[in-house]
Parts: sequence; structure tokens; C-alpha cells
Amino acid sequence: MKPLKSLLFVCFMLLAVPAHAAKITVAAAADLKFAMDEIVTAFKSANPDEGIDVIYGSSGKFQTQIRQGAPYDLYFSADIGFPRELAKQGFASSEVRPYALGRIVLWSASLDAAQMTMASLADPKISRIAIANPKHAPYGKRAEEALRASGLWEKLEPKLVYGENIAHTAQFVQTGNAQVGIIALSLAVNPELASRGGYWLIPDTLHEPLEQGYIITKRAEGNALAKRFADYMGSKLARAVMVKYGFVLPGENAGK
Amino acid sequence: MLLSGSDMQAIWLTVKLASIVTVILLLVGTPIAWWLVRTGSWWKGPIGAVVALPLVLPPSVLGFYMLLAMGPDGPVGHLTRALGVGPLPFTFWGLVIASVFYSLPFMVQPLQNAFEAIGDRPLEVAATLGASPLDAFFSVVLPLARPGFLTAVIMTFTHTVGEFGVVLMIGGNLPGITRVVSVQIYDHVEALEYGQAHRLAAVMLIFAFLVLLALYAWRPDAKKG
Amino acid sequence: METIKARFHVDWPGFSLDVDCVLPDRGVTALFGHSGSGKTTLLRCIAGLERARQGFLSFKGEIWQDDTTWRPTHKRPLGYVFQEASLFPHLTALGNLRYGIRRATTEHRVSLDQAVDLLGIGHLLDRKADRLSGGERQRVAIARALAVSPRLLLMDEPLAALDLKRKQEILPYLERLHDELKIPVLYVSHSPDEVARLADHLVAMEDGRIVASGPLVETLARIDLPIRLGEDIGVVLDVVVGERDKTWHLARMDFQGGSLWTRDMGAAAGSRMRVRVLARDVSLTRQLQTQTSIQNLVPARVSAIADDEHPGLALVRIRVGASVLIARLAKRAVAALELSPGQEVWAQVKTVALLE
Repeated sequence: MKPLKSLLFVCFMLLAVPAHAAKITVAAAADLKFAMDEIVTAFKSANPDEGIDVIYGSSGKFQTQIRQGAPYDLYFSADIGFPRELAKQGFASSEVRPYALGRIVLWSASLDAAQMTMASLADPKISRIAIANPKHAPYGKRAEEALRASGLWEKLEPKLVYGENIAHTAQFVQTGNAQVGIIALSLAVNPELASRGGYWLIPDTLHEPLEQGYIITKRAEGNALAKRFADYMGSKLARAVMVKYGFVLPGENAGK
Repeated sequence: MLLSGSDMQAIWLTVKLASIVTVILLLVGTPIAWWLVRTGSWWKGPIGAVVALPLVLPPSVLGFYMLLAMGPDGPVGHLTRALGVGPLPFTFWGLVIASVFYSLPFMVQPLQNAFEAIGDRPLEVAATLGASPLDAFFSVVLPLARPGFLTAVIMTFTHTVGEFGVVLMIGGNLPGITRVVSVQIYDHVEALEYGQAHRLAAVMLIFAFLVLLALYAWRPDAKKG
Repeated sequence: METIKARFHVDWPGFSLDVDCVLPDRGVTALFGHSGSGKTTLLRCIAGLERARQGFLSFKGEIWQDDTTWRPTHKRPLGYVFQEASLFPHLTALGNLRYGIRRATTEHRVSLDQAVDLLGIGHLLDRKADRLSGGERQRVAIARALAVSPRLLLMDEPLAALDLKRKQEILPYLERLHDELKIPVLYVSHSPDEVARLADHLVAMEDGRIVASGPLVETLARIDLPIRLGEDIGVVLDVVVGERDKTWHLARMDFQGGSLWTRDMGAAAGSRMRVRVLARDVSLTRQLQTQTSIQNLVPARVSAIADDEHPGLALVRIRVGASVLIARLAKRAVAALELSPGQEVWAQVKTVALLE
């Protein structure tokens, strides 16, 4: 039964986890996708023995999952409100630390959004505007606030379509199904999106600050690697990456 | 009131969507299933595989391709523009079309099985009794395949009700237009509105259970047929 | 008049059919052969259920198939009885009958009542197929085929799927069909007994080809039939019941050129019947034997001798007046008696099977 034997062997190989290497899992908001990838790569090249898995998704979903015992060691939320609530309920092993301020932009794949302002959205040529679902996505909430503050909400609401998260919203725009979207600056500066159309930074006076924060979860209490990675986020190198991807760091001004 | 207005709106929308999709698929899926069973054509394999694709593809893949295809630069988008009906994403009819593709195997496969089980003989008998092929289809095949049709209709309807990924991808979450029950539940959960999520989810659960119960309760009859 | 002309060439992997024949347009024509001989395929080609790429078919002058014509099955005025009854399970027996009647395009020669009476299914009409026995189902199927008033009735081994008892139940109905309906019937069978009872005309097939064709009595009386019949070799005689012997419960069957005594089965004197005399039941003597238990001794003349399929046996064709019998004898006996064509002999017939 040679095939069976080799199959068993493969199974063992798959199950065999190198016992010595430490490994953590990071849950990160979707807007961090590009910045976090680069930071993790840099961290790994400095610490080749350490394993870091990053899962990107909706901040709200992560909060629910952590409360239900999800195996995340660090939680980077797009809205600092979520980790604060978790900390209050005892799911955190660190204090809640702000790591960035998010900014929102108008972005289009077919029009030159760099020439736009909020008022341009009323143009009848624009039939669909994509924003993240304000009901649960932090960027969506800020988009709604900006539209309301500009006095455009009532007028534009029929044109709005709602993405499940900020990446999904960008997808609506990228495929041309919505002419314009309000998305995270961090996504708009990524080369793949930046190569098409342009973006216009929405003034942060039009919305509440999009304060982003993280915690080390209760599960990772005393986990040295988790602690080290959290510290690494405050390093000069990591901060430079964050700025590069359009995040405003706590205590600094918009670097745009 | 246990369910909010927007919940009721989502339920009504879901029922409307599933009903329309089921009717369309009944009209479209029946000839496809019949052709797949009767044909000796080389195309049988490829077409059969395409019909079955939604069974194995994640809805996100399907939804993504539909978003591209129906978008202004996609082939379907070009077609709809040429026909003057406008883009399909974020519209109810876009959802209907996507769901027709997504639920196609759930209509075609039970029918295919039912037609296959009937075999050639009843058609030959009908022909020797003077029935044209079309006549034989309506007077012999349809009545004999009734259990298959019942299964196919129920499967299609419930599968469309349970659809989530594709709707999310191309629907744009518009209340009354594309926000169906599954998306509404998801929104409740995402917004941490667990109570409302629970109530709506319970409605879905009971619905699904009753439908499947009916399906299995009917089955013994079908065997006798 | 012979007016069903059929020519078909079919080439499938492992099977070919190559026939060119003219079939009579009246009476029952048996398409007879072993399984795989192509008889069912020929029947299906005639019905249009199978489409031979090269083929020609005309029925009483109407072209049903040639190089440019193809009349689909549902436009051919025929009735077809399949081996399995194949009733529509969603309809009652009556619903099955009406299905064809409603679609019939030919003039009404067989009424629903007539078909029902002929097959004796009046009490079964409101039952569905699954509430009928195998024999009842097949009777309904035959009535269904008749009720469309076909101009040609095709039957594909209608009794083969039934056990002996059911066969006996249906055969009388088929015989009535034969007697009462004036439409040509093509009857596929591999049973010599059924053929002997029902057919007027015999088409013998082997390996997709027709190897013999002609009136039943004549064809069965040939000893050079290139088809293996084994124990079933024998002739059929059309007889009239003559004298009935009440003392010994015997009846005399008169045929052209002689008579045979059989057990009296109750048929009235003067009635016409068909009897079957198997070759294995006929023996020959040079002189009239008187000290024998065999009751039927008829003077005959040897007309031909041929080899049987078994190397030790021979088939001897003898004339009894205008009729023919076949005797199957050991070759050693043929040699010992020095039998040769033209010779006068006595035929001893042990058993005569009444067929009607």
C-alpha cells in the first residue's frame, strides 16, 4: 500500500509544526492591508524565526469574534471604540493604544477625482457613489458625516451604494460600477488604485476623527512576541510605513 | 412588533426575489435539463459543467465576476447599455439575473435526474400513440417528472433565499432593492444588534426547516410515482 | 398483395442489420429469430423508433422513409406493443387507452369498446398501472395500441416478459385479434410455439439478415432452414375436426391428404384448427406396424433428406398427400432403412399438439 503510506507521510508533515518557533495571529482592519503587509515583512526580515499571520477584515466583526474566543493575539481596529469596549469587558491584556488617524478621500477609477470637491458629487453624470456601510463600518460612518456636513446627504442618498467594508467599497469603484467612492486614504495611495484616476482628500473638519487603536488580547497575556510586535508598531521604521500609506500618526499633522 | 419595518421590507424583498428567480429558472432550466438529458452532442459535457459551476465556486468568485461582467466595461454592461436598460449592479433585476445563474444547478440538476429516470420508453410509447415530441413532453414527461419539479422548485427557491455572497458583491446593500434577509441579518450582526439579528435569523431558520421538512415528507410519494 | 417494402442498413459497433424484404399486408407475419438476430431492430426501423441512415420503407404505396423522406413515428398510422407493457404510470388504464385515441388521425375502425372487449379489460379501466398484474398490463397495452385504429400493428415479443401462466392468459386474446382484425400484424418472437400458433407468414432472421421468408406452413416444412431450431423443428397443419370418438375421448383431425387422432379437447366437429407436429415425434417404418402403441400411422413418401444440426441426426421430409411432415431420425436408422427420396414409408406420429 505505497500510496497510502505516502499519503500518511504527507499528513504528518502537514501536522508537524516546528515546536520552537513562536507564532502570533494579528487581526487588522481592512484599511491596514498594504501598510501592515510591509511592516510585517520588515519585522520578519529582522526576526526570521518568528511567525506572524495577519488576517484583514471588518473591525466590528473582529470585535465580535474576539469576544467569542477567536485566537487573535493583537487587534488593530479602524475605530478605537471597538478595542475600548473590549478592554472594558476584560478581553484585553494591554491598555488601548491609538496607532493612527484614518483619513477619507474621494476616489474614482474613471474620472479625475483630484479635481473634485464634495460639491462635484452632485454632478448628474455621477449616478452611483460607493461608501462603506455606515451602519457598522467606521469609514462609512465618517463618509456619512462628511456628506451630511456638506449638506449633500439628502440629495445624494439615492445615488449611494454600500460596500461591506472599505475594501469592498473600493472594488465597486475599481470595477466602474460606481463612478466615485469615499474610501480610506490608505487604500487610495496604494499603487494599484493610485494608477487609476486620482483622489481628493476630504477635509477632516467635515467628520469626526477616525481614531484607530489596538490592544493585545487577553489570550496573548505574557506573550513576548505579541508585546515585541506591538512595540515594533511604534518604531521609526513602522511609523514611516504608516505615513507612506496615508495614515496620520497620533500627535502629528496630516502629512499630505 | 417582533420585526422592524426594514426587516419586513427585507423579507418581502427576499420572497419577491426568490419567486421571480424560481419562475425564470423553471422556464430556462427545464429546456436546459431536457437538452442535457437528450442530446448526444459534444457540448453536453462543457454545458453540463458550466451549469454545475455555481455548486463548487465560492459565491464571492461568482459575485466578483458578475460585478466585472455587469459593470460598464464588462460584456453584459455593454449589452445592457446598448439595449438602453442601464447598468445592472445595485438594481433588483441585476440581482435577479445574478441569482438565476447562481441557482441554476439547483433547478437543472433535479430536473435532469428526473428526466433521466423517465428514460426513452415512455417517449417511444407516446410517439407510437401519435404524440409529437412536444406533445409527449407536456403530456408524459411533465406529469412523470412532477416529483423532480417539486424538488427543483423548492431547492431553487430556498437556495435563492439563502443567497448571500453574490448579493453582497453586486447588490450594494440598498434597502428595498437589494437588501435581502441574509444581508439584513449580516448588517444586524455587524452593527452588534444581536437581538434583531436573532429574531430575523430565527425566522430564516424556521422557514428553512419547514421547507426541508415538507420536501422530505413528500419524498416517499415521489418514489412511488 | 405484398405491399410493405422495407430495406434497411444499420451499422452499429458489434451489430449490423441488412435487410431488403417485402412483407404481406394482411395476416400475422412473424419476425422470428434468436436474440440478437436483429428482429426487434427491424421492427423499430419500421416504426421509425430507430432511424437507419440508409433505408427505404413504403406502406401500401406511401413512402415512410427514403433518401429524402422521413415520416416521424407519431405520423405513422401504426400501433406498437412493447415487450414490457410500458403503460403510462400517471394514467389509469382508460387514460392510457384515451391517450392514443385522442391523437389518432386515421379513420375510426376500432372503437374503444371494441378494443376493451377484445382484450377483456372492461373491469380494469379505472385502475392505474401499478394496480394491474403483468398479464393485465400487457392486455391494456395491446388494447391501447389497437384503439388508435392502426393500419399496421407492430408487436415486439409481447409475451416474452410474462410467465407461462400469463402467456396462456393472453394468447387466446391474440388469436382473437388474428381472427377478427383485418390489419397486418408484424409479430416479433423467438418462441416457435407462439409463431406456430399465431403466424400466417414467417420471416426468419439471423445475424441481422433475413434467412427465410414465406407462408408459415410452407416455410416450417422446409428442412433446409438455415436457422437452428433444435427440438422445435416441426410442421404446422391446418386441420378440420372430423369424427369425435366418445368412447376413447379421441378426435380425428383431417388435413389435406390424411388425418391424425388426438385427445378430444372438446372442439366441435367441423371447426377449423391448427396443429403442430414436431419432427422428434415422427418416426418412419418401411412396413405398416400393427403391434404398436402409436395410434397415428399414415402412408407417406420421402421427398428429401437433410442433415440435422446434430451430426448423428437427419431430417427427413415426407409428403402425406398434399401436406408435409418432417421426421427427425438417427442417421444410422436412415442408413439401415435405406431411405431415399421417392420411397414409400409409413409415418408414425406420437404426439399432435393442438394450437387452437
